[in-house]
Amino acid sequence: MSLLSVEAATKRFGGLTALDAVSLEVAPGSITGVMGANGAGKTTLFSLIAGTDRPSGGRITFDGRRVDGLPADRVCRLGIARTFQIVRPFAGMTVLDNVAVAAMYGRRRIRARGPAEVIAWEVLEATGLADRAHQAAGSLTLAGRKRLEVARALATGPRLLLLDEVMAGLTATEVAEALAMIEDLRRRYDLTILVIEHVMRALMRLCDRIVVLHHGRLIAIGTPAEIATHPEVVDAYLGGGS
Amino acid sequence: MSSLLSGQLLVAALATGGLYALVAVGLNLVYGTMRLLNVAHGEFVMVGAYVAFLLFSTWQIGPPWSLLAAFAVATALGLAAYRGLFHRLLERNQRVEANSLLLFFAVSVILQNVVALTFSANERAYRHLDGIVTFGDVSVTESRLLALVVSLAVCLAVALALRYAAVGQAIRAVLQNRDAAALVGVNVVQVQRLCFAFGVGAAGMAGALISLTQGISPFMGFPFTIAAFVVVILGGLGNLTGSLVGGLLLGFLETYGIALTAASYRSILLYGVFVGVLILLPRGLFGRRAARR
Amino acid sequence: MKAPLGLAAAVVAAAALPLLGSDYAVGIGLSLAMWVALTQSWVLISGMAGYVSLGHVVFYGTGAYVMVLAWQQYPPWLAVLAGGIAAGVLALAIGWPVLRVRGPSFVILTFGVAELVKYVVVNVEGALGRFGRVLFGGPDLQTLYWAMLGLAVAASVLTYVVRRSRFGGGLIAIREDEDAAEAVGIPAAKLKLAAFALSAVIPGMVGAIMVMRSTYFEPLQVFSPVVSFTIVTMAVIGGSDDAPGPLFGAAFLVVLAETLWSTLPEAYMIAQGALLIAFVLFAPDGIHGRLTARRARSG
Repeated sequence: MSLLSVEAATKRFGGLTALDAVSLEVAPGSITGVMGANGAGKTTLFSLIAGTDRPSGGRITFDGRRVDGLPADRVCRLGIARTFQIVRPFAGMTVLDNVAVAAMYGRRRIRARGPAEVIAWEVLEATGLADRAHQAAGSLTLAGRKRLEVARALATGPRLLLLDEVMAGLTATEVAEALAMIEDLRRRYDLTILVIEHVMRALMRLCDRIVVLHHGRLIAIGTPAEIATHPEVVDAYLGGGS
Repeated sequence: MSSLLSGQLLVAALATGGLYALVAVGLNLVYGTMRLLNVAHGEFVMVGAYVAFLLFSTWQIGPPWSLLAAFAVATALGLAAYRGLFHRLLERNQRVEANSLLLFFAVSVILQNVVALTFSANERAYRHLDGIVTFGDVSVTESRLLALVVSLAVCLAVALALRYAAVGQAIRAVLQNRDAAALVGVNVVQVQRLCFAFGVGAAGMAGALISLTQGISPFMGFPFTIAAFVVVILGGLGNLTGSLVGGLLLGFLETYGIALTAASYRSILLYGVFVGVLILLPRGLFGRRAARR
Repeated sequence: MKAPLGLAAAVVAAAALPLLGSDYAVGIGLSLAMWVALTQSWVLISGMAGYVSLGHVVFYGTGAYVMVLAWQQYPPWLAVLAGGIAAGVLALAIGWPVLRVRGPSFVILTFGVAELVKYVVVNVEGALGRFGRVLFGGPDLQTLYWAMLGLAVAASVLTYVVRRSRFGGGLIAIREDEDAAEAVGIPAAKLKLAAFALSAVIPGMVGAIMVMRSTYFEPLQVFSPVVSFTIVTMAVIGGSDDAPGPLFGAAFLVVLAETLWSTLPEAYMIAQGALLIAFVLFAPDGIHGRLTARRARSG
């Protein structure tokens, strides 16, 4: 039984096909890595799953329910949360308010400010932002904002978390911390995770499975070890660059 | 009903449409390159009209000099506004869209009232180029003909410049995708400033032409802003040929709409088309980006 | 507890104004209450959700017109209520198609709708053979003042409550980043529409009251864009993020209006424009924002 199933998802922008009939199954509790060069269609795949964009074709099922074409806020309340590759904090609000508003709207059972703040504090602890809770979100460092993206997504109480390059631009130490944090979050919140990352070694360590996109098509899917030796992947992505 | 088929009405529609196109081309360039809604655009039309009025009533200077002067004054005002207000705002990049609207709104009110204070709020008019030209059974005033010819010529010149001139290609790049244009070395700020200056200049020139054909007042600008928005939405963002077609379409709609009803319906017709277009095509201002969602 | 008590005292003092002050003072009080009610309402959609309305006068005018049509056929209080409802319905009708779409369509629509409604009313009145209507025998100045004060208090409380509610949190998230707001489950289209409708109701009631005060209805005046512009300026000068802002902004401009409007209306409008520009560029959080920032620094 897979939690998420993507069948022949396609997205065209004008004449450009950003995603071409990509299919994939995600088992509950797994961490799946999404790899590919810039423009391979990784973020587009996330946008279709999260409802930010409407697919031009194909179907997406989450927990037995069709979600493609639903607006992003509905998809979120069904239990899919995403982060944005280019961070999008609510800059004028405090870190705490950023997370609390996500808890108030992302969860069906929480509406009042009080319980939302309880969740917010817990999530801020888990993401290491608690000491910056009353700071304006716009004043965080890049690493801090990336964490805020994760915290805000978590606050909506997702079962499936889509992490879009939350480690890009971080230092080696910060990457190590982020990796530990993701593994911790998965255990603590019983999450299924899809993660886009350029930091190859991080992906290899973190993921149960990896899918590779190339020019909008899925060219490989398998365990990290299989992917590392997959001829087409080595050729298209890892290979020499010439 | 036979009057509906008359050449007179046709030329009137063409002249109105040409003027709308000219006003809209400027708005299109500004919105397309800066993504800012210039709700003061019509006030630059008004300023141009007063420049022409002043030149003629004081020194009997008419076209072509009055057109150029209106263009120059509107451009200078536009550049001053750009430097003093929008450059600062764009640099700070803080809620630019909402804040720029407030600034444009303020600019529009200030221009209206400065002119009202200087020239009084009363409608003004002057008679120039009101001789009649006759082609077959169609007779037109020289001023209408001039308005038609000049606005079409300027629109075509801009369309050609965008297609063939180097600076036109830079502008097109910015219209299509600002970030990508910057990446390939286009000086986006310079293009924006140029488009802003030229866009409001064109509006000023349109104003000078309008002053030849109808009375002018400090509060005449608003309908032209609205008309320009209609044209840009109909013709497509960044699409100057579209603006030309859209302008003519609106000119025909207005002229024949009034001919079929009464002159007092003119405002209702214009604003009605505006509201209708926005409600039917609420994504209109997004241009091609609409496909994203 | 100190602030609410102080405010309650201020409201009581304001309510006592007709018993103590001259008609002139009550007139100014009425004008101040009117602007507070209008500006607080504007803040709901434009301050909190960031969707700037440039034509809020349309709701004011709609309310006034409902009062005119109901004049001497229905009791005034019922017409005031109907004016508010009509304005709210109009907001839903305008907002429903465009607020589902992101971006500037809404803003320029507000810009044109006010003019459209104005000219429709002008033409309807013309077709009815009416060129200006007189409304004699309405409630006296005191009664109108108390009603307006009630609306000003209601609008201020509404802004204050919404700002601290789940609804207000959602609106502010939309203002900060609409995509991100939707991604955390905020139904942006629905919230925007609700805020817009809510922001129209009180202005409709204000318009219905004010037309009884002026005892004269002339569409070009009642639907004048100057009203919209003044609302925007007051909100920006005072601060458009929370309930105290409009109080500051309205007080500031009403004083300016008293000194300039009657003698040099054009100069007054130019001054308003200049103030708006200055605040947008140099103090975008307005007077209230400045004061809170200062308080945060000093303590």
